[in-house]
Amino acid sequence: MSSFTTTVLIATREITERLRSRLTWVMTAITTVLVVALIVVPSFFRQPTRPTVIGLVGAQAQALAPAILATAKAAKLDITVLDVADEATARADLMPTRTRGQRALARALAAFQGTSSTIDVALTVNTDSAVVEVNQSLSPNLAALLQAIVDQAHQAQVLIAAGVPPAAVSAALRPVKFSIVTLQPPVARQAGADIAALAAGFLLYISVGIFGAAVASGVAQEKTSRTAEVLLAAVRPIELMIGKVLGIGLVGLAQMATTVGAGLIANVFVQSSVVPSSIWVLLPAILGWFLLGYLLYAFGYAAAGAIVARQEEVQFATAPFTVFLAGGFLLTYATIANPDAWWIQLLSFFPPLSPVLMPARLALGHLAVWEMPLAALLTVGFIALVAREASRIYSAGLVRSGARLSWGAALRTR
Amino acid sequence: MLEITDLYQTFGSRVAVDHLSVTVDKGEIVGLVGRNGAGKTTTMRCVMGIVRPEGGEVRWSGHPVELADRLRFGYMPEERGLYPQMAVLDQLRYFARLHGLDSSSAVTEAQRWIDLLDLKGREQDRIVALSHGNQQRVQLAVALVHQPELVVLDEPFSGLDPSAVDTLSDLLRTQAADGKAILFSSHQLDLVERLCDRVVILELGRVLAAGTLAELRSRVPMRLRVKVDAPDDWVAALKGVRVLHADGDGAVLGLDTDADPQAILRAAINAGPVEHFGFESGGLVELYRELVAA
Repeated sequence: MSSFTTTVLIATREITERLRSRLTWVMTAITTVLVVALIVVPSFFRQPTRPTVIGLVGAQAQALAPAILATAKAAKLDITVLDVADEATARADLMPTRTRGQRALARALAAFQGTSSTIDVALTVNTDSAVVEVNQSLSPNLAALLQAIVDQAHQAQVLIAAGVPPAAVSAALRPVKFSIVTLQPPVARQAGADIAALAAGFLLYISVGIFGAAVASGVAQEKTSRTAEVLLAAVRPIELMIGKVLGIGLVGLAQMATTVGAGLIANVFVQSSVVPSSIWVLLPAILGWFLLGYLLYAFGYAAAGAIVARQEEVQFATAPFTVFLAGGFLLTYATIANPDAWWIQLLSFFPPLSPVLMPARLALGHLAVWEMPLAALLTVGFIALVAREASRIYSAGLVRSGARLSWGAALRTR
Repeated sequence: MLEITDLYQTFGSRVAVDHLSVTVDKGEIVGLVGRNGAGKTTTMRCVMGIVRPEGGEVRWSGHPVELADRLRFGYMPEERGLYPQMAVLDQLRYFARLHGLDSSSAVTEAQRWIDLLDLKGREQDRIVALSHGNQQRVQLAVALVHQPELVVLDEPFSGLDPSAVDTLSDLLRTQAADGKAILFSSHQLDLVERLCDRVVILELGRVLAAGTLAELRSRVPMRLRVKVDAPDDWVAALKGVRVLHADGDGAVLGLDTDADPQAILRAAINAGPVEHFGFESGGLVELYRELVAA
């Protein structure tokens, strides 16, 4: 029988037994429900964006309406204006005594009734002064805009009163063309990119850790139950190792695809802000890095399972891999804070950390075209190296009886 | 034929197998006997390719054993090697497939062995839910499901009740009659005596004695059992005679070649009423004790 057929047989057994396990289905269901909830639930509390309503109190303020609207449009501020009869009405409209929720409800009701909505800002212009009233705070941009318009109006009034012709006043007060040229514009970060980066890093850290641990546990169980002896009488150690890694990995991939797919379908309906629009690029990358990361770590986990003497020792033997995975996830935070740092870029090419850091950098939009293929190539090479060493340790450890082999002794085994 | 020639294996500073040579022919049942650490399990693991020996050779049908040959071997390790959460039928099918049977043959053979070993109705039971005896039957079925030419069993009788021992013994005799070569190890010397065509006695990895049962028994001198209603000190005066052991049925005397049975009889009569006087042939147990004590 060919090695391929033997490996497929072994992988098929792993797949079948895992699919028969109720725990597999329960865990898949739980993670899927959690991911869908994380996407759907925030959308129920999301308030739709609405323009800032500026109440113009009195004739002088109301005369500034065209200028306010034109300037706001140029500055890309979303505002509308509303004529208000007097200060008392404006103050009542600002509803200082109501909570944010009550104001939101009142606005929704007014919109439903087709009546004018309440105001967010009240502007009153006098001969030599202007007053802006707000409930809690005014954005600096809007404050600067209103200040500039009121100043301009006041200057025009003074010049006209001094006898300057209106046409000359308009020409004098016309704004100078002012442009900002950015020589090294920062990479625009999409909405939800930070969350996507963190989620990608966390997903890969957890899934590689869980499925890798399953490999170690399965190998240890075969060793301690002596099933490995019966198997090794008929199959080669490397066929057994690869078959187990592939079988568990395929089930893991299916579980991940189910969870991620459910999340994407949910997002189609709610258009959540936690899911960036680049998800359709990010998703294949996450799945690809899961495969690479799982293979890299799974062979190591297999070797760890083979060097223990008892099932209880598996956690101890796999500790080095857990530390690397956890370290990679913690570095995701640093990546989000400073994605262009040279040491972050360097570490993301280190194969044990690439599966977690590369998707994070991709989610943040901080990856050159050549970086991911190079990191993937380095990781594939590293996988080959790990598989070769792990195979040797696996073969020697699986049939060894007695106390647990230390990693140092295992690596020296020939 | 299985030929183990000059096998040598160490673990650290301990010599587990020390230049051991054994053969097992088709249709033959050979027993490996020895105490713990004698080298039985290591020898079997070398045959099955689980351990690569440091010296010596294992040959099958005249050539060194390869993976293709081992697919035609059946193996039952000392500690049960089964997947505890896997169902009986699935387990048998799996191991049959690994040994090269196609899917439908694997199912057919698995069901046949389930019927033969009285496991009918337990096909869907997980191994962990079976009794020790039934687990042992499943383990044996795993070793035999693919119709092996050589069967290697490490302590197959351990933990079995008498009826299960009889069933297994009959099965092994049937398999040998079918032309299979069978090598098994056991601590139960009476079983080995009943079942084996040839026996190999090991100690510290070396062969102490090997041969057919008749050959081995001939190495143990005849013994004389004498029951006299008197203390055994009458034996001390006799030349070439010593008390091997005493029990409720009298004293068993070992005789040198120059010992005179007539003189022994006269001495016994002089000592007291003689209730029993008769020769006994030595068995495997006596031989084993003598060889190990030497």
